[in-house]
Amino acid sequence: MRRREFLATATVSGAALAVGAPVFLRRAYAQNPIKIGLPTVLSGGNAQYGIQAKRASELFAKDIKGKGILGRPVEFIYEDTGADPATAVRKAQKLVEKDGVKFLTGTVLSSEALAVSAKCPEWKVILMSTINGAGALTAKSFNRYFFRVNTSGPMGARAVSLYLAEGPMKRLFALGSDYAWGRDSVASFSAQIEAAKKEVVGKEYPPVGTKDFASYIAKVRQSKAEGVYLVLVGQDATIFLKQAHQFGLTKDVKPIMEIVELENMKAVGDAMEGTIGSSRYPFTVDTPKNHAFVKRFHDMHGVYPDMFDGETYEGLEWLAQVIQKAGTADDVEKVIEAWEDSSYEGLEGPFFMRKCDHQAVQPGFAVQAVKDPKYPHLIPKILATFPGDKVTPKCRTEEFS
Amino acid sequence: MPHGGILVAISLLLEQLLNALALAGLLFLVSAGLSLVFGILRVVNFAHGVFYMLGAYLGFTVVALTGWFWPALVIVPPVVGLVGAVLESSTLRFIYRRLPIYQLLLTFGLALILEESIRVLYGPTAKGVDPPPLLQGSIPLGAIVYPRYRLFLVVLGLVVGAAVWLFLKRTRTGLVIRAVAQNAEMADCLGADVARVRTLVFGAACALAGLGGVAAAPMTTAYLGMGIGVIVDAFVVVVIGGLGSIPGSMAGSLIVGAAQTWGAYYLPETAMVIMYAVMGAILIFRPWGLFGEEE
Repeated sequence: MRRREFLATATVSGAALAVGAPVFLRRAYAQNPIKIGLPTVLSGGNAQYGIQAKRASELFAKDIKGKGILGRPVEFIYEDTGADPATAVRKAQKLVEKDGVKFLTGTVLSSEALAVSAKCPEWKVILMSTINGAGALTAKSFNRYFFRVNTSGPMGARAVSLYLAEGPMKRLFALGSDYAWGRDSVASFSAQIEAAKKEVVGKEYPPVGTKDFASYIAKVRQSKAEGVYLVLVGQDATIFLKQAHQFGLTKDVKPIMEIVELENMKAVGDAMEGTIGSSRYPFTVDTPKNHAFVKRFHDMHGVYPDMFDGETYEGLEWLAQVIQKAGTADDVEKVIEAWEDSSYEGLEGPFFMRKCDHQAVQPGFAVQAVKDPKYPHLIPKILATFPGDKVTPKCRTEEFS
Repeated sequence: MPHGGILVAISLLLEQLLNALALAGLLFLVSAGLSLVFGILRVVNFAHGVFYMLGAYLGFTVVALTGWFWPALVIVPPVVGLVGAVLESSTLRFIYRRLPIYQLLLTFGLALILEESIRVLYGPTAKGVDPPPLLQGSIPLGAIVYPRYRLFLVVLGLVVGAAVWLFLKRTRTGLVIRAVAQNAEMADCLGADVARVRTLVFGAACALAGLGGVAAAPMTTAYLGMGIGVIVDAFVVVVIGGLGSIPGSMAGSLIVGAAQTWGAYYLPETAMVIMYAVMGAILIFRPWGLFGEEE
C-alpha cells in the first residue's frame, strides 16, 4: 500500500505542478492584467453562442497583444453557465469575487442577462451585453451598470418592420420562443406591423427546445399568412425551417427571421435560401474595417464570423477605447461616465452609447439568405441599411416614434 | 373551421393524428430501450439520450461520407449498440450491487462525457441531414399535403415495436431476458449467463436509441442538447407505460406524442403542462403505469 500511496501522491503533485506552473509564471510576467469575465454558455444546445463570444475574445486578445489596454495585458476568463440564469449568477459572482473581474460580458440568454444585470449594482461591475435581445434590459429593468452594445430584439424587429412596410405582404404570423426575448420581440413586431396597416393573423410561443413544430406549421398554414416572423432561439429556428420546408410550408409562406444567422444557414442548407430578416451584424457589411476583420477572423478560426462574433468583437474594442479614455480600469464609475454619450466606429458603421438607457445606437440591417459560389454556405445579402436613429427605440422604452 | 368543407375538416384531423403518430414513432425508439434497461438491469440510465444523439451524429457522418441515408440506418445502430455494450461491461457492470445513486451518478457522468466529446469532435453547429430521395417532399392526403418522411417514421416505429415485442415473446434469447428481468439470481442458478444478458440488453437498448437518432436527424437535425431534450420525454413515456414493458412504451409514446402535438395545437399556452398532467392523472390510478406490474 505504501508504494501505491506514494505513486498517487507523486501523480497528483506532478499534475498540480504541470497545471500550476504556467499560471504562476504568467502572473509573475504580467503582474496586473485587466480581467474580462465571460459567464457564457459553453455546453449544451446554446453553446454555439458562447463559442462565438469566445472566438471573438480570442481574436481581440491576439489583436491587442503587445500593446494591451493602458499598457496592461488583458486576460479573459470563461465560465460555463449551461444556459441557466441561476448558474449564470453564481458563475458571475465567482468571477467578480474570486477573480476580481470588473467587466462581465458574453451572457447568452436574455434571462441570464436579466439575472446577472440585477446583481451588478451591488457588485459594482459592468455587464456589457453583446448578445442579449430582450428589450427590458435597457427599459424596465435598466440599471447604470448595464451596457448593451448589440442591436436589441425590438431593434431587429424594427428593421424588419421598416423593410416589410414597403413590401407587398399584408398578412403575417408571429412565432416567438417562449421566454423574454421571444415574447418581447413578437410584441414589438406586432405593434409596428399594425402601425404599418398590416395584419398579424396569429401569434404562438413554442417552448424553448421544441423539436417537433408540426402543430405550429399547421397553424401557420391555416392562418393563410403570407409571411411568418420567427423569433426562435438558434437551434429551434433551424429545426423549424427544416420542418417547414419538409411540410412544403415555405412555398406559400415566406419565413422572416428577427436574426438571420450563419449557424442556421449552415445547418438548414439550401432550404433556407431566400429567407429574409434582420441581422445584428452581417459579415458581408461593406466597410474597410469589416473587410480586414473578416479576414483576420477567418485566418484565425477558419470560418466566417457569425452575428455574435462581430458584435462581441465590437463590444470589446469599444470597451478598450472607453477604458483608455477613462484612464482607469479599476474605477468602474469613471469607466461608466467615459462610456456614456461616447462614439465608436464599429465594423458595421458608427455607434453611439446613449446615456439615458445605455443602448448603443447603430445601423440596422435587412438581409436575405442567398447563395454565393465564393462561400461554402449561404450568406446574408444586405437588402437595406437603416440609420441608427430609425431603428433605436425611444429612451428606456421598447417603443418607436 | 374557418375554411369550411367536411373534407378539409377531416384532413386537418388526419394531419394532427399523423403528427402525433410520427412523434410517437421517434419517442418509442428511445423509450423502448430506456424501459428495457430499467426492467432488466434495474438501472435508470441517464446516458440513454446521449446514445440517441450519438446515433444522429454518426448518421450525419455516414450520410456525409457516402451520400446515402439508408446505409446510415443500417450501420449506425449496431455501432452505437457496440459503444453501449463496451461502456456497460467496462463501467456499469461493477456497480449493480451498489445503491441506485451510484448508477445515477455514473450514467449522468457518461452522458456528460459523451456529449462534450461530440461537441469537441463536431463543433457547436447543428448538422443537417437530408432524407433519402424516396422520402423527400410531401404527398397529398385529402385537402392537405404531408411529408413523406414523417409517414416513414410512423411505419418505422410500428415495425420496430412489433419486432422487439416478438423477439422478447417468441425467441429463446427473449425468454432468457425475461427470466433475468423477473429474477436475476434464479435465472443465474438455472444456468443463464446473467452478465452477458445484461451487456446484450444494454447494447440492444443503445442500438435502438441510435436508430432513433438516425431516424430523427432528417427531421430535427443532429444538434447538441438533443439527448437531454429527448430523455425527459422518454422518462415520461416509461413512467406512463410502465417500467420494463414494451407495449407500455408503445402506449406511452402514443400518449405523449398526442399530448405534445395536440396540446401545442389546441391549447398552446398550456402545451408544456399537458404531458405532465396526463402523467399525473395516470399515476393516480395506476402508480405502476399502464402496462407495468404492481410491485
